[in-house]
Order: sequence, then structure tokens, then C-alpha cells
Amino acid sequence: MMFTIARKEVVETLRDGRFRALAILVLALSAASFAAGWRHYSDVQRQHLEAQEATRTQWLNQPAKNPHSAAHYGMYAFKPKSRLSLVDSGIDPYVGVAAWLEAHRQNEFRYRPAQDRTAIQRFGELTAAEAFLVVLPLFIVLASFTAFAGEREQGTLRQLLSLGVATRDLVAGKALGVAAALGLVIVPATIIGVAALAATTEFGGLRADVPRAAWLAVMYLIYFATIVAISLAVSAWARSPRTALVILLAFWFANSLIVTRAAADLAAWLHPTPSAIEFQTAMERELSNQEEMRVRLDRRREELMRRYNVSSMDAVPINFSGISLQEGEERANEVFDRHYGGLFERYESQNRAFQWAGLAAPMLPVRSLSMALAGTDFAHHREFVTAAEEYRRGIQRVMNDDIARNSKPGAAYTAGAALWAEVPEFRYELPGVSWAMRQAAPSVGLLLAWCVAACWLAARATRRLGVV
Amino acid sequence: MLATLLRHDWRSLSADASIWVVIGVFAAAIGYGTINGARWVAFQQDAISEARAEERERLERHETAIVRINRENATISAFADPRNPDAVGRSLGARYVVLPPTPLAPLAVGQSDLLPSYFKITTDARETVLAATEIENPHRLLTGRFDLAFVLIYLYPLLILALTYNLLSSEKEQGTLVLALSQPISLRTLVAAKVLLRFTVFLAAVVGLALLASLIIGVDLGAPGVLPRLAFWAAAVAGYGLFWFAAAVAVSALGKPSATNAMVLAGVWLALVVLVPSLLSMAATAIYPVPSRVEMIQATRVASDEANAEGSKLLAQYYEDHPELVTGDAQQAMNDFNLVRVAVAAEVERRVRPVLDRYSQQLTAQQQIVARARFLSPAILMQDALNDIAGTGAARHRAFVQQVEQYHERWRAHFVRLIFEKARLEDYSGLPRFAFEDEETGAVSRRVAGSLAGVAVPTVLLAVFAFVRLRRYPLVG
Repeated sequence: MMFTIARKEVVETLRDGRFRALAILVLALSAASFAAGWRHYSDVQRQHLEAQEATRTQWLNQPAKNPHSAAHYGMYAFKPKSRLSLVDSGIDPYVGVAAWLEAHRQNEFRYRPAQDRTAIQRFGELTAAEAFLVVLPLFIVLASFTAFAGEREQGTLRQLLSLGVATRDLVAGKALGVAAALGLVIVPATIIGVAALAATTEFGGLRADVPRAAWLAVMYLIYFATIVAISLAVSAWARSPRTALVILLAFWFANSLIVTRAAADLAAWLHPTPSAIEFQTAMERELSNQEEMRVRLDRRREELMRRYNVSSMDAVPINFSGISLQEGEERANEVFDRHYGGLFERYESQNRAFQWAGLAAPMLPVRSLSMALAGTDFAHHREFVTAAEEYRRGIQRVMNDDIARNSKPGAAYTAGAALWAEVPEFRYELPGVSWAMRQAAPSVGLLLAWCVAACWLAARATRRLGVV
Repeated sequence: MLATLLRHDWRSLSADASIWVVIGVFAAAIGYGTINGARWVAFQQDAISEARAEERERLERHETAIVRINRENATISAFADPRNPDAVGRSLGARYVVLPPTPLAPLAVGQSDLLPSYFKITTDARETVLAATEIENPHRLLTGRFDLAFVLIYLYPLLILALTYNLLSSEKEQGTLVLALSQPISLRTLVAAKVLLRFTVFLAAVVGLALLASLIIGVDLGAPGVLPRLAFWAAAVAGYGLFWFAAAVAVSALGKPSATNAMVLAGVWLALVVLVPSLLSMAATAIYPVPSRVEMIQATRVASDEANAEGSKLLAQYYEDHPELVTGDAQQAMNDFNLVRVAVAAEVERRVRPVLDRYSQQLTAQQQIVARARFLSPAILMQDALNDIAGTGAARHRAFVQQVEQYHERWRAHFVRLIFEKARLEDYSGLPRFAFEDEETGAVSRRVAGSLAGVAVPTVLLAVFAFVRLRRYPLVG
């Protein structure tokens, strides 16, 4: 019986011209967004890989010079694009693409791609994720609002129930029917998406991205199931199809547009961030504290004299300027950790508050999860920033150690290619899928809670189907 | 007749809960949006005064230091010497340039959260100076603000549609339409009365609430240009609202049932407010992709490596190009670190210029596409109009950046001259100053008028279509 009902639903949906048009639209949108995403990803990834190689070559080909000059010359870290960013570009347009790794300073990632775009980008980027999060739910709403309310209005619901159809079968059949119609859109869209991913193998095998992509698909499916259940519940509850439609459209709008923005502003209200100037001034103030530096250097001198068991710094067999440079780095690193760390914590608090607004709209947890799994959320960005900063600190250590060990006070000292090569290449791997899921754990919980609640609602609303 | 219609329609409309829900939601959204806009402007103003205070404090500190150094005849490293024009131009004397928020800035955040409203001017390369940004949670930039412009562009049309999608169909479905038309009135008069009533309610609500909210957050109505801009703002709100009324009436005129109308209008809304803008954005970036800035970074790096290697040779070249700067012994100057650096920097910029130009060319090409295609969606036109009125759009920011670039040139020329003259600064009164010359109200008005005309044309077309179609409106069946 369930399958008969489902088949009837599918046939009916397919005969509807509006539905066909909408299905083609959604497919065309996702195809276009995958194509654009693929091209953008390939271009940018190629540019960044080439640049990363070039910056490495420049570092290695430095002429003989003082290691500290080399540290000042530095290197650049270019943010690689995650492959799944072609599904969901997340915050990528709004974070800088490159940071200069130089001596003494943790520099910000500069050049947000969004600044090289026009103002209409603020209407939202048409990524596949956008099509799934915003357009597809509308499609579901339009395909299912008549499920019970329409039959009730036409009087066919009474007929149907008089045949002795179990309500459970009816509900399951309706849900299955919507799901099948939905599948006619999702399956081809997924195939296009997989093809787009497969077209990027020049940047390495796909294996690492498979678990992320699989989880992404699962999360979206749960989201779609939630929307189907909510639509059926409203359709069963509403007196007329018109009421059902208006309620569902209002829900769709609140879910996909209102709550996101309202929550982002509310989160920023709860956890305010400083302005750039405030941030810089506070950091500069700490960095320029000479007195603290003097105390720390004195302590290092004493330690060295104790370690080498001598009574004067002249007798210490290493060059103190290397130690002093490194001490300056260590101290600055503490300041950077405190300030950048504090700022990033603020962002994370904002994002957490934002995640909890997912209590009000099921789209929020999926959106967070989608970005997390695509590797384009703030947690991933922070991870990369931290890795680049660690690498910068590594360069400083190698250079300063060399100065301490090999140079003599007062004498000019240069190092060459051998020292430059001692700094390993900068390699960054996207963290594994379990890391990403752990970061977004509250979202997983919220999404599941929404799904369960929606199903419960649908079950409850259909338990006693009023026929008039 | 019309008065009677209006009175009766208002009676039935106000008896229905939906209008009060709509107005309640609207009022809450407008209030929240305006407060958010005001908070953002206050944040910007705090940042600006913080910058000004930092600058004042720093300049005073160094000027005091000059007096002390001169008095004590102290020795000090060139990098930290507040009299050394190189050090002053590069960091010690750096000045902030500011794009002040307009009095109406709380009405639309626009691009002001993405494009920085102040820069710190030094003798560094232009691109380094202009690369500074305000720090902001990228997630929030992605999501966008819940400001008044958002409420007006997204929510306002939906609320209009919620009250008009069943303008005729509900009366038809209830059987009251035939009854009403048995009176000596035409269908068009009836529709006109219904639209007029709803439009008045909306316009009064939105303009009244927004003005009230603006007064509460302290918009200075007396400031120059504020009243004409507010008039434009009200015209934009009215025009955009009329477009959506016209769309709803045109769809109603087709004579379909309420549910179909709702679906069609939701589709139209989705297409015009969400899909067309993002498709257009996608098309513009696909046709004229702006390369990643990493290319620029690499090009700059290669150029500066090469230029540094040539060093003093470049200075000789520089002297040939700028004979007015030759003072004293040019041969001896070849070994002067500061002078070589000026020449190297000039050379790097010369070499990198073509790469940089490509970024701006591509962006300009994108902007041209969008400028032409924006007429496809009233939502884009509305965004343009609101940003222009609030002074938070791209055009005003471009004007700002152009002036900053000129100032940066002046700043550098000033210090290059001092460096070549081996001058010593005794105070900072002679540092070049910057004052932003705001756009004239006329220029803003012309742009806004263009956007509004773009909204008006489809409105008229839809209204004419509805007018014609209503004659054939199927009253039954």
C-alpha cells in the first residue's frame, strides 16, 4: 500500500509542469555552481601551489647573508583551497589568502578575495551548498504542502481513509513519494558534483576527501528529511492547502534567511570584538615594553653563565646575539598568542553562539556542518593560521640557533644555502574528518534533534487526520 | 466610491489577524535592523577616534623627543630618530586617513564592513598601505548584517506579498467578489482601492518606524544633505514597494487560485532577490576572474629581489629621471642607504604596476557588467540606491581610495624630497594633511535616481499588464 501511495505521489508530481520547471531549475543551478566552483578551485589552487613553490625557491636561492637578514626576508604562506570548497566556499572569500612570515612579527592573512568583487556578492554566493540549503527546501515545501491539506480539500482524504488505509502507510507513502521526487533532483546533482570533484585529480588523489564528502551527503540528507517531515506535519495540521503553503513559506524564509542574519548579529552583540586599531595598539604597547625584555635577557645571561660554569659572558662559547634574538621571538610569541588567541577565541565564541541559534532554525547546524566538512569554516582557517605561525617560529629558531652557534660577536657573519635548506618545506594537510566533526559536534546534535523532533511532529500531526 | 471601498476593505483587513502579525514582524525587524546599523556606525566611530588619538599621542611624543634630543644633543639610531625624514615618513609620523560615516550610515551597512574606512599612510608601497583591513569575524562577513537595508530588500517585499497574493483570489474563493461587483464599481477600481490601502499602510509603517528608529538612535536631521537623502530614501522604499505590489496584482490578474499565486510569487521573489543577484555575481567573476592576490605578492617579491640587486645603479637612473632632486655630490649619494631605497622602491612599483593594473581592470570590467545587468533585478537596484543614500556603497569608497592614493603620492613626494635634501625635521607641523572631499549630493542623487528609474520601468509595465488583464479576469470558475 505504502508503495502504491508513493508511486501515485511521484506520478502526480512529475505531471505537474511547475514541479518539472523547478526541478530543472535546481539542477541547472547546481550544475552551474559546480562548474563555476570547479573552475575557481582549479585556478586558485594552481596559483597558490605555484606561488608556494616559488616562495620556497626564493628562500633557498638567497645569496649568502646573515641568517637574521634571511629571517627578515622571510617567506609567504599561501592558503591552499580545500577541494570540497567547490561544494561550499564557506568563509574563504572573507579571509585573507596570504601571510608574510617574517622575523619578529605574526602578520595577518591579507587580501580577502571578496574585496576584489562587486557589491552584489553580498546577496550570497551561488554555491552548490546554497542551492541545497536554500533552494531545495523551497522545492520540498512546494512539492509536499498539498500532501494532506490538498487531499482534504478535494475530499479524497475521506475516501482514502474509508478504504482502510493505515495512517502509517499513508504517511510513509507520502514521505516516500516526496523523497523519490526529490531523488530525481538530488541524484543527478550529486553525480555532477562527483564529476566536478573527479575533475580535480591533478591536485592529488580524492581518497582523503571521500569521508568528508560522504558525511556531507549524510548531513544534507538528514536536513532534507527534516524539511520533508516538517512540511508533511504542517500539511496534515493545516485546514487548507493555502494555509499550509503560507505557513511553510514563512518557515522557509525564516529558516533560510532571517535567523542566520539575526543570529550572527546577536552573537556579535554577546561577544564583541575589538577594532583593528584597538587590537594593534594594545599589541604594540606590549611588544614595545623594553623593560620586560631587559629583565628576560639578564635572566638568560645568568642561565648561560651557570650552564657553562663561567663568571663572565665573554667566556660563554656561544654568541649571545642569537640568544637575544630568539628571546625576543619567544617573548613576542607570548604576546601574539595572547592577542591573536584572544581574538580568535572571541570569534569562536561568536560562532558557538551562532551555532546554538540552530535551535531556532534547522538550516544553521547544516550550514555549520557543511562548511566544517568542506574545510571552509573558521576552525579550519584558524588551524591553517596556527600551522603557518608555527612554521614561522620554526624558521626563526633555525636562524637564531645558527647565529648563536656559529657567529662571533662583533664579526660579520654570513650563512649560505646549506642553512636555508635546513628549514623544512611548509606542508599543510587538511585535518581529518573526525577532527572536523568534533569541531562541529553541537551542530550534529542539533541537526539530529531537529530531525527527530520533525519526525515526531509529523507522526503526531498525522495520527488523527481530520478529514474535513 | 473609492472612500467607501477603502473603508470597507480596511474594516475587513484590520479584523484579520494577519495584518497585525505582518506589521508586528515588520516593526520588530525594522527596530532590530536600525539598532544594528547604529551599533556598527558607533563601532566605526570609536575606531576612528581611537586612530586619531593614537596619531595625536604618537606625534606629540616624538615632537617632545625632538626637543629633548636637540637639547641633550643625544645620539639615537637612525630608525628611531624622530628628526630623520625616512623614519618619520615610514612609521613615526604615519597619519591616518578616514572615510567618515555619513549621518545616514546606520540605514545601510553596505560594503562598509568589508572595505576599510581608514588607512595608515606611510611611505611604504601603495599596495602595502591599502592592504589594511578592519578585523571582523569572517563568518559574520559571509552571513551579512541584519540591517535596515536587509529588512527592506528581503523582508519588506515578502510581507507585501503576504498581504496581496490573494488580493482577488480569496474574495473569489469566498464568493464575495461577485457580490461586490454587483455594486456599480469596476474590478479595476476595487483592485486599485485594495492596493492603495495596503500600500498606504506599508509605506506609513516603514517610513514612520524607520524615522522613529533613526530619531531614537540620534540621526542628525539638520546636517547638510540629510533631508534630501531621506526624501530619496522614502522614494526608494515607495518605489520598491510599488514594484512588488504591481507584481502581486499582475499575478493576481491571471485569475489563478490563491495557492498558485503564492507559489508563483514566492518563485518570483526567490528569482529576483536571491537567484538573479548571485547568478550575476557568478557570471561576472567567471567572465572576468580577478586572479588570486598571490600573483601580485609573487610579482612584487621578484621585482624587489631584482631591484635590490641593482641597488645603486637604480639610484643613478633615478637621478636622471628626477634631476631636481640632485643636491651636492651625487657620486657620494650612491652609497647612501636611504636614497638607494627610494630608488629601489620606485623601480619595484614601476615593474609591478602592470600586474596591479590587471586586478583593477578585471574588477572594473566586472563592475561594468553588473552596472548594466543590475536592471534585471529590482533588489540589486534597491541595494545600490540604499548604499548610495547611506554613503556605504562601493562608489563612495572608490572615491575615497582615489583621494587616498593621491594623498599617499603627496606624502611620499614630501618625504623623498626631505630625504634627498638630507633635511632634519624640527617639528611635524609641515606633514601633509588629508581631508576627505565627500561626493556632492548632486552626484549621489543622480545615481540614486538612475536606480529608482530602473525600478519604476518594470513597475509600470507590470501595472499596465495587470490593468489590461483585469478586463478578462474570470469572476467565476
